[in-house]
Amino acid sequence: MGAQATPTENTLPLRPADFSTLAEALDYAALGQTGCNFYNGRGELYEALPYARLREEALILARRLAGLNLERESRVALVAETNPDFMRFFFACQYAGLIPVPLPIPFSLGSHQAYVRQLRAMLKSCKPSIAMAPEGFASFLSEATEGLEIQYFGTPDDFDELPEVGTDLQPLRSHELAYLQYTSGSTRFPRGVMIKQAAVMDNLAGIAQHGVKLRPGDRAVSWLPFYHDMGLVGLMLTPVASQVSVDYLGTREFAMRPRQWLGLMSKNKATISFGPPFGYELCQRRLRPGEAEKFDLSAWRVAGVGAEMIRTEALDRFAEALAPAGFDKGAFLPCYGMAECSLAVTFAPLGQGLKTDVVDADRLAYDSLAVPSSSTVAKEVRKFVDCGHLLPGFELKIKDDHGNELPDRQIGTVYLRGPSVMSGYFEEPGITQEVLSEDGWLNTGDLGYLVGDRLYLTGREKDLIIVNGRNIWPQDLEYLAEQQPEVRPGDALAFGVPGPNGGDLTVLVVQCRETDDAKRKDLLNRIRSRVRSEVGVDCMIELVPLHTLPRTSSGKLSRSKARQNFIATHDFSMIGVGNSEEQTRPAADRRAI
Amino acid sequence: MKSYEEILAELINLIRPMVPNANELSPDMELVDNLGLDSMKVMNLLQEIEDQFDVSIPLNVLPDVRTVGDLAHKIHQILERE
Repeated sequence: MGAQATPTENTLPLRPADFSTLAEALDYAALGQTGCNFYNGRGELYEALPYARLREEALILARRLAGLNLERESRVALVAETNPDFMRFFFACQYAGLIPVPLPIPFSLGSHQAYVRQLRAMLKSCKPSIAMAPEGFASFLSEATEGLEIQYFGTPDDFDELPEVGTDLQPLRSHELAYLQYTSGSTRFPRGVMIKQAAVMDNLAGIAQHGVKLRPGDRAVSWLPFYHDMGLVGLMLTPVASQVSVDYLGTREFAMRPRQWLGLMSKNKATISFGPPFGYELCQRRLRPGEAEKFDLSAWRVAGVGAEMIRTEALDRFAEALAPAGFDKGAFLPCYGMAECSLAVTFAPLGQGLKTDVVDADRLAYDSLAVPSSSTVAKEVRKFVDCGHLLPGFELKIKDDHGNELPDRQIGTVYLRGPSVMSGYFEEPGITQEVLSEDGWLNTGDLGYLVGDRLYLTGREKDLIIVNGRNIWPQDLEYLAEQQPEVRPGDALAFGVPGPNGGDLTVLVVQCRETDDAKRKDLLNRIRSRVRSEVGVDCMIELVPLHTLPRTSSGKLSRSKARQNFIATHDFSMIGVGNSEEQTRPAADRRAI
Repeated sequence: MKSYEEILAELINLIRPMVPNANELSPDMELVDNLGLDSMKVMNLLQEIEDQFDVSIPLNVLPDVRTVGDLAHKIHQILERE
């Protein structure tokens, strides 16, 4: 208690991420007064960590890690709770020549087994020499590491007992890795995105100088997890590399008390914050009548929106509800990015807000063309948000399925090349080759079109399901169904369909031999329960007869065909999540998928 | 200091409005599987628990809570420690 937040104004000239490594960036930030601040769920500051002290503590820890005599660029797994220890370890790795690997923390009830399995899959993938978990998560880490060859693992306190050695530290250099990121990828088959120092520094400079154009007087607030690209790169590394003070609220604390986000923004007159559309929506829904006036959001100049397909309705409601607090809807800053590009790829122009392109729905569906439409009939049009233009250094192509480059307003797959792009997936040359060409082009899997220099996204990686801003891989759901004794590999397909609130509804279609009603019901319940506890989402499950799942011309099961069939044969106004057998059966019996 | 039974009764009172269709709530009911609380409702419930019992629920207890009774036990433990 009695801690005082780091100031917004600095004593140093602002250098917008023009450094060659993260260690060098912290060295500079440490010369000033700014830093990061950690708040509890009630909005009370519990620790202020000026960048000067972060550097000092990271150097001490780096000397302790050096005593373990690890090979250079060994991985260090870090269970990434939003706390000062995570930052200390992350930067200690930078100074000690080791590669930090942020790992998730669990939020779902009853997820013990699933979480341990997820951690274990990630640990097997990144093969860390050492691993750290905060006190509360040490037992999970210890379960997950059982039988794996990890030289040393423990809590921050355990690491602080290690002796400091007097060697000269050799921080990670520009051509070496900066971190591995597991933010994207299926939980069963995690892929570690390898980001080099030069790549992340290029991206940080792009964000700071061109995306949000950081300037003295800026201050950030974030509740995004440190193990996600936007939380880590956007709201932890960008502030350090630009000497901007930032106020952190834990992700779970935000989910419990979303209005604390607004409280923090008001308290320190913050100017910058980012979140998925879902975060804004949650906040607006929990706002009480007449409460908006209590907040002061007049300083908020950059309200970044990214991480999922941007739909404007919820954001418009947020802006309207918070207008009495001085929130300016021109502050919305749509952007596009992914961990494979360090983070950011495009930003809309500052101050533009949400600008939409209204196109003809039929031409879009049948011809993959975005033809402007002036129709006022909601069904006849689709709206897409202007995600802005590329950061300097990126090249972009929209290509069709045959690899031909497409002109403006034709929808195709987004390909990117540039200095921020990853080096590949860690120890996965095959999967890397599938998405990253020899000459450096990344197939993002996202669908979109260009109008001049502006990018519009119309869809995402084919099969991905997004629920409340979270990416769900269909393979994970199909696997859970196939684990049931009555279900064989190849009997299940999962996909997302548009839900009533703009998000996805998760659907799992399972081929089933069983005809007995009670047994069918039992199977449905078992799958639903596994999906809830392992993946943390509610799922509509439909049982269909054998040999009815659709296949592609080459004989592979086709999620996209199953999805189209499902949409064509279901009345979505009737569909809720977690249907009973009674509701799902008739549809399944009515037709073959 | 509240007993486990008192905590359970208060907890059930907090949960009841969230599950209007549920019959009698019992400690062995699973919050997610039987009562169908989604992740947002769980977060709301945690916030109400924190306010009602004046406790902070650490992040690491969630993975080991399945039933209403599990949750009441955790609250009891946290209160005892404080």
